[in-house]
Amino acid sequence: MSDVTLESLTKAYGDEVAVDGIDLTIRDGEILGVVGPSGCGKTTTLRTIAGFETPTQGRVLFDGVDVTHVPPEERNVGLVFQSYALFDTMTVRENVAFGPKMHGVPKAERRKRADELLAMLDIAELADRRPTTLSGGQQQRVGLARALAIEPHVLLLDEPMTGLDAELKTRLRDEIGGLLADLEVTALYVTHDQEEAMAMCDRIAVLADGTLEQVGPPAEIYRRPANPFVANFVGSSTLLEGVAENGRVDLGFTELPVAAETNGSVRIAARPAAFELGSGPLEADVADVTYLGDRTRLTATLPDDTTVTLHADGIDGYRVGDSVPLSIDEQRVHVLETD
Amino acid sequence: MSVRKSATASVRRIATLASTTARPTTERERERRRIAVLCLPFFALAIVAGFVPLAMLVRISFAEDTIWMVGWSFGAWETLATTPAYRRVAWNTLWFVGLATAVSVALGVAVAHALEKYDLPAERVVVAAVSFPIALPGIVVAYLITVLLGNQGVVTNAIATVTGASALDLASATAITGLFLGYVYSLLPRATMVLRGTYAAVNTQAEEAARALGASRWETFYHVTLPEIRPGIAAAAILTFRSGLAIFGTVLILQSHQVVTLQIHNEISVGSYAPDVAAAIGLVYVVFIVAFTFVGLRFVDDDAVEV
Repeated sequence: MSDVTLESLTKAYGDEVAVDGIDLTIRDGEILGVVGPSGCGKTTTLRTIAGFETPTQGRVLFDGVDVTHVPPEERNVGLVFQSYALFDTMTVRENVAFGPKMHGVPKAERRKRADELLAMLDIAELADRRPTTLSGGQQQRVGLARALAIEPHVLLLDEPMTGLDAELKTRLRDEIGGLLADLEVTALYVTHDQEEAMAMCDRIAVLADGTLEQVGPPAEIYRRPANPFVANFVGSSTLLEGVAENGRVDLGFTELPVAAETNGSVRIAARPAAFELGSGPLEADVADVTYLGDRTRLTATLPDDTTVTLHADGIDGYRVGDSVPLSIDEQRVHVLETD
Repeated sequence: MSVRKSATASVRRIATLASTTARPTTERERERRRIAVLCLPFFALAIVAGFVPLAMLVRISFAEDTIWMVGWSFGAWETLATTPAYRRVAWNTLWFVGLATAVSVALGVAVAHALEKYDLPAERVVVAAVSFPIALPGIVVAYLITVLLGNQGVVTNAIATVTGASALDLASATAITGLFLGYVYSLLPRATMVLRGTYAAVNTQAEEAARALGASRWETFYHVTLPEIRPGIAAAAILTFRSGLAIFGTVLILQSHQVVTLQIHNEISVGSYAPDVAAAIGLVYVVFIVAFTFVGLRFVDDDAVEV
């Protein structure tokens, strides 16, 4: 395994810039999640690391060695696709042994390696089956085994769980996350599912319009978003305008003891959990109620017409038009920016 | 008794089918009627232009008097079975068209690969150029070959000028090479069209996975792409081979190789008029084509391509 560094990576298709000057390092043995909306450059970044796209500017380095112009077959990267991309004309074992075969590993050894990986992924009994006869979850395990069989410098996973049902996704996520951690594989995990990224990745990079908005551990991304985009994309946030002065922020309808870097206009990101229902100095009118099973999402309007999103217990029977008391937990809000 | 019951039941089933198709009451029956309406013109045409002439060919091949189609004789079939020249024509046809098919499909794979895998700068021009020969009559193809490789041909005379050899000696338009070029030129568009459809369904991500796993472009083609397009290759080979067997105009003009279509023409020409033998050859040809297609389709995935 090795680390992967992207230096000022830019990829443009004509006038369309897909990736715009990204500087990013995937550390040795780390699982780095890449999240962002559709068209933000996630997959282009992954394909550039794999060698299927040549950057317009910038470099890709594996362990400090420039591989920007090295063809894909010489990079030793493992690819796992959303669509599995298995070789349908081969058996499961042949799929897994394909990489070692291309690397000149003798037949007996590559068969042994394939069987070991299949056993590790708990699909040893499928070795002689064709991929088309397997379920989605089984195919994805085969895809992962195939990618790991070459002991790649870096494992690139492109939305591997998309398309799987929720229960299987959760189970596979835990299994794959555990396996990659045990193997200390350096991995780039592209997904649009923030929860998946938070559960599986050591760090998360958030992309928007081809630029890197923030990179950091999941908790930091969630608790201390760098800007409004990250605050709204990773989880949901209510953005509140206020004025900071001497360690307090005046929101108009209330004041919070929150420290800002400088005095003046600030924007505060408040997660749903920052609003405590049932008691407090504020009164809000419930404008929308969405029952989510384990909780209820409420949209409520504060006296100054600010709309906030908050969560209530799933069994609480709030209705549109109810007036509810609430307070804001200053420990759960984050100052985004100061003017 | 049971046979009679079974026959009665079959007749009833057919009558019920006809009745429900004519006056459908369920969606399934209405669908059946739509299918019948859509297919009716083809079957009418097939009967008039296909089955009736075929039945007449059968009769002519066994007729004592081929003009009035009276009397019965196995003479034509006996001639066909015992004359070595006809076996040579069959062999000539099979190897020649087989070779032209192999070359056309191989070239078709290359062209389809280029068209489907890469962003070509003038893709429309390439597609137009590749598909162009399909609209050319065989006689025109023969003329093009003559212009190129005939006695007065551009290539012939260029080589003659350089080597000092006689253009007449070099002229290959009336030789088998020119005819072969004409065949490949005519067959290539058919092979390419089928293969392009197959290529469009190739799993590009599987190819990328293979390359990431260390396979070179050639290894990726051999291990991943080729197995995927194999049904398309089989379909292209079937279509191309059948089309190759049917080529007549080019071979009639160039006259450089005796194949089955030219032989049928000769059998009904003035001087060697033998329509019963021509009919027998035609029937063997049709039976061979049908059998070949059925056998060939076993190698074609149902969903992959249509032949």
